Amino acid sequence: MKFTTDIVIGLEIHVELNTDTKLFCGCTTKADLPNTACCPICLGHPGSKPVLNKKCVDFAIMLGLALNCQISKELIFSRKSYFYPDMARNYQITQFELPLCSDGYIILDSGKKIRITRAHLEEDPAALVHHGGITDSNYVLVDYNRSGHALCEIVTEPDMQSPEEAREFLNKLLTILQYIKVFDPNMNIIKADANISIKESGYVRSEVKNITGFKDIERALFFEVQRQKKAVENGETLIMDTRAWDSEKGMTTRLRVKEQEQDYGYILDPDLVITDITDEWISSIKEKIPELPSAKIEKFIKKYQLKEEDAKIIAQDLALAEMLEKIAAKVDPVLSAKWVRRELVRVLNYNKITMQDIKFDHTHLIELLLMVQKRVITDETAKRLIEKLVDGPFNVREYVQKEGLMAVSDTGELEKICKEVISENAKVVEDYKSGNEKSFNFLVGQVMRKSQGKASPDVVNELLKKMV
Amino acid sequence: MNIQEFVIKAKKGEIDIVDNTIKFLDKTKEINSKNKYLNAFAEDAAKLQVKNISKIQEKGLLYGFPMTVKDCICVKGVESTAGSKILKGYNPLFNATSVQKLLDEGAIVFGKNSQDEFGFGSFNTNVGVNFDIPLNPHDESRVCGGSSGGSAGFVAKMDMPNFSLAESTGGSIVAPASFCGNVGMCPTYGRVSRYGLMDYANSLDKIGPITKTVEDNALILDIISGYDPKDSTSVRGLKTDFQSYLGKDIKDLKIAIISDFFGDGTDQKVADTVLNKLKGINYDKVTLPLNNKIALETYYIIAMCEASTNLAKYCGMRYGKHEKLEGTFNEYFTKVRSDSFGAEAKRRIIIGTFARMAGYRDAYYIKAMKVRTKLIEEYKKIFSKYDLIISPTMPVIAPKFDEIKKLTPMQNYMMDIMTVGPNLSGMPHMTINAGSVDGMPVGLMIIADHFNEGKIYQLGSYLENKK
Repeated sequence: MKFTTDIVIGLEIHVELNTDTKLFCGCTTKADLPNTACCPICLGHPGSKPVLNKKCVDFAIMLGLALNCQISKELIFSRKSYFYPDMARNYQITQFELPLCSDGYIILDSGKKIRITRAHLEEDPAALVHHGGITDSNYVLVDYNRSGHALCEIVTEPDMQSPEEAREFLNKLLTILQYIKVFDPNMNIIKADANISIKESGYVRSEVKNITGFKDIERALFFEVQRQKKAVENGETLIMDTRAWDSEKGMTTRLRVKEQEQDYGYILDPDLVITDITDEWISSIKEKIPELPSAKIEKFIKKYQLKEEDAKIIAQDLALAEMLEKIAAKVDPVLSAKWVRRELVRVLNYNKITMQDIKFDHTHLIELLLMVQKRVITDETAKRLIEKLVDGPFNVREYVQKEGLMAVSDTGELEKICKEVISENAKVVEDYKSGNEKSFNFLVGQVMRKSQGKASPDVVNELLKKMV
Repeated sequence: MNIQEFVIKAKKGEIDIVDNTIKFLDKTKEINSKNKYLNAFAEDAAKLQVKNISKIQEKGLLYGFPMTVKDCICVKGVESTAGSKILKGYNPLFNATSVQKLLDEGAIVFGKNSQDEFGFGSFNTNVGVNFDIPLNPHDESRVCGGSSGGSAGFVAKMDMPNFSLAESTGGSIVAPASFCGNVGMCPTYGRVSRYGLMDYANSLDKIGPITKTVEDNALILDIISGYDPKDSTSVRGLKTDFQSYLGKDIKDLKIAIISDFFGDGTDQKVADTVLNKLKGINYDKVTLPLNNKIALETYYIIAMCEASTNLAKYCGMRYGKHEKLEGTFNEYFTKVRSDSFGAEAKRRIIIGTFARMAGYRDAYYIKAMKVRTKLIEEYKKIFSKYDLIISPTMPVIAPKFDEIKKLTPMQNYMMDIMTVGPNLSGMPHMTINAGSVDGMPVGLMIIADHFNEGKIYQLGSYLENKK
């Protein structure tokens, strides 16, 4: 392939599918204690035979469709042979010649298309556990609970030109995974191998293996770009190699020099029959695919009249998007979006929780925002009510009544407060009069504070202007 | 006494199945001390099993009937090694589906039959490191044939009623059955579940019975056949009533002999014995030029490619052979595999790995897979005209041990020339005894189209009863 860009990045991403049982046996994927969820099949005992879990195929097809892939007419598994202590059979059941999904893409915000070469189904090996760290431990333990988990391996073309693009691609992928619910970010693991090269070296490629987590992928790529650039500047000749990412030290180290592609001696797995993937099967899965992020963004912009940026940020998180949709059915969508994107997110971040952790639901926010919309309460009050909702749900309307939190627009009462503020801040008033607009805002703020946030800002503005 | 007669008597109490079991055990030990048909005894399991079934009201089709099982077929709790040192000490956690079906009918397992290591051989002389080679029941200076040599040898030598559950990849049921003079059926691929069979070559492996009579054979195949959700390659929705074909008139069967296998390369006395057995039957002559030319090579490439991946799991870690953990993982498993695999297993791992390496894969593995389809088509064409085709099972009578020693690996593989065709194509085939040459049994092989085992039994029972 001929490259022209400064940086060339391609990714291979392993997504653990969120099925209840493993790819080729009935063992649960949700065990706690090591080696409690394994059987003769995922331990590779002689005489055992794999039997395909159709649910995993459903999930992989759904993912393929969501990534705009072609779905093959047949599902065929191969044996990839190599000796490694985490492999129960010393071969991995995967796909080789004919991947389940091929020729897909994800579009970045810039409109650039990142092509997906293929996405295929395979089994995860067991987990190796090094007590005290990989370098210090002089023994290794094997946990077969993971052996046989269904993975979907997604391979991109080398279409990304910066670590930032790679990160954006991965974020978009994660959002899609979240939308179609084939992956549980709290339970399942996502891992990537990244291929990266730079123009200065003539595109000599390094492969960084087994990077866990999206933030680390960007860090690793960023490190690699710098490392390769520095090496070229120092007059070194780069050679193709395979590298490991050390998250703690924030650097990659060479595992081996890649003289040639490893030979896995693929053969068809003769224990598994060819599975026909009918058009009906594909259509039945298509029906189950929910509205995807791109469609949601379009809807938010066109139907809700949101700004593109707001639409994108909300659509990035399925739970937020669904919350918005429920609220916007009753409340003005632009107002709803503003509150979901700004205040709801702020409160979540402040409390270090996610949408999954909150105990109140859309009905509480609808009540709240209807009161904002009708100016029954002020924004300040509403903000404090959302904060309070995080501690536990309550009837918002009753609470506002009981605590007397309704916005104050009674001019008599407000005039009194305004007078106080003006007399206490003579200097500020002078500033305002000499043309400093900011001073006016300060005065408004003082009134709001004195009214404990209940003063209606419009009325205060009007009154103050008249009075100073 | 055939199985049905035994079971009727046992159910009536005319045969005491507990006594019979004890007697059978004693006799088995006596035979085995000399002829080496069993790798493992299931003495305790047999005694327990007979005790349990004698208490059960509902008496199965094999009530108290003795059987042995080829070592590569898993029997729960009984050491099962597939004839290999690398699996020494491995006691499976489950029964193979076929074994379970037989146990459910009241059969008693007495032990695990000797075999070529993982099935890699035609004479049962390629046994694992420190394993015994079984001796032919008719002449102890001769081989039993392989790879199910222990099965065929034991069924023939043991004069008490019994049968063995055997397995074939390229001829491993019919070859030894032919050399030992009994009835061996290798059913259509997919007819019998492979769950619990330690794989040699998964796309070729078939489980089938070796019995004293055709009638016994049909009964056993009836029991073990059927779809198994644990084996994706087992076939759904087939009717099995092989016993109904026994004794049926054969006048409607269209029969041909494979003329390629009655001329050069076949012992003339063997060919004549088979033709003599067919006297009085109408048959045509057919040839299988493509199979005759390249079935052997195609078979060995596919079988070895698959075998080399199947054997990868044996690395001295999870079961079977364990050694002191020393060195790196690579050093450790290399040592275990070097010490514990026999020469033929190593040869097949090396050839099989080579044939699927990048650069050779297309020329060997992929090509062989394509050729296989062509070879099946050749059979299918013949079966569009004929119900059954016939050849000798083996080109010779059971060779002597010192004759085998002189054979090169290629000459060794050539012995399978008649049996690899139907095995590679997944066609059912059965050997019955056609007579003898120099006091040694000669096998006659009947091949049918996929899922037509019934017709094989039909002709088989006719020939068996014909004087």
